[in-house]
Amino acid sequence: MALSFGLIATQAGFSPLEAAALSLFIYAGASQFLFVGMIAGGAPLWLTVVMTLLINARHLVYSITLAPWVSESRRWPWLMHGLTDQVFALAHYRLPLLSEQDRMSWFSSTAIVAWSGWAGGTLLGSLVGQQLIGQWPLLASAMTFALPALFLVLLAPRCTSLRWMMALLVSAFAALMLALNHMANVAIPLAAALGALCFYLLPESTARTSS
Amino acid sequence: MNSAIWWTAAATAVGTLLIRMLPLYWMQRRMSCASDIERERPLPTWPGVLAPLMIAALLGLSLVPQPTSALGWSSTAAGSLATLCLWYKTRTLGLPVAAGVAAYTLVLLIGS
Repeated sequence: MALSFGLIATQAGFSPLEAAALSLFIYAGASQFLFVGMIAGGAPLWLTVVMTLLINARHLVYSITLAPWVSESRRWPWLMHGLTDQVFALAHYRLPLLSEQDRMSWFSSTAIVAWSGWAGGTLLGSLVGQQLIGQWPLLASAMTFALPALFLVLLAPRCTSLRWMMALLVSAFAALMLALNHMANVAIPLAAALGALCFYLLPESTARTSS
Repeated sequence: MNSAIWWTAAATAVGTLLIRMLPLYWMQRRMSCASDIERERPLPTWPGVLAPLMIAALLGLSLVPQPTSALGWSSTAAGSLATLCLWYKTRTLGLPVAAGVAAYTLVLLIGS
């Protein structure tokens, strides 16, 4: 995805260094594609900021969710710059399993690896993306499945009851349908809201303890 | 990139950072200022419900193959199945992801 962003940013008129700077400082995956697309399309600059921030608004929930496993250190809020979708999904699974003194170092290293990978991938994509994809088209396609596979593995342990299973399925299916109908930008909050509705509508009696 | 675009990028970067850090800062303040009785009060449960559902939504988004062809859907189904089967057997993170990517690639290779 970073390679693709670098490639698209270059095609939209950004230099490799500018594309890498966007990845370093905005560091927000999908919304960077929108940012570059709107700038290239000549959209008003204020609207570009508003739309990008609207897409990133889902991150409001992420750091609140992690709060119970975070100490009172003042470094933690700054570390949230690294809180992307993938890092959040990993942290939500991993932080509760770690001891309190290990959490900050685990989060910092995970975030730095992801951050440098994203910025480095952007730079690489800007410089040689076209050649790489031309030379190994299958590799580029194959790696696109790493992300859904990771999400699957992170969600599988959550299927502890019929209630959870149904809510997760509704959320995933709704996002899939919205994406297929060109509404990917609103898919995450809308699909999660539908999943939550399903979760709260299903009676608690559908809950069963798994092994 | 002219200066107006740099300012737009800077505003987006600062806004995104604030969206990520302020809720945590607010929660930390709330927890440190709370009295012992308030601290013992359970935290709201809705973030714990919403978070996995947002990850499920991310999964749904990422499952859409590009381009959306029969081969794309077949390889996605094979990759998902392999990932889940290996997770069920090993209950680990790395191996199931690798198996999923391998199955996905294999179906792509056979079909193309």
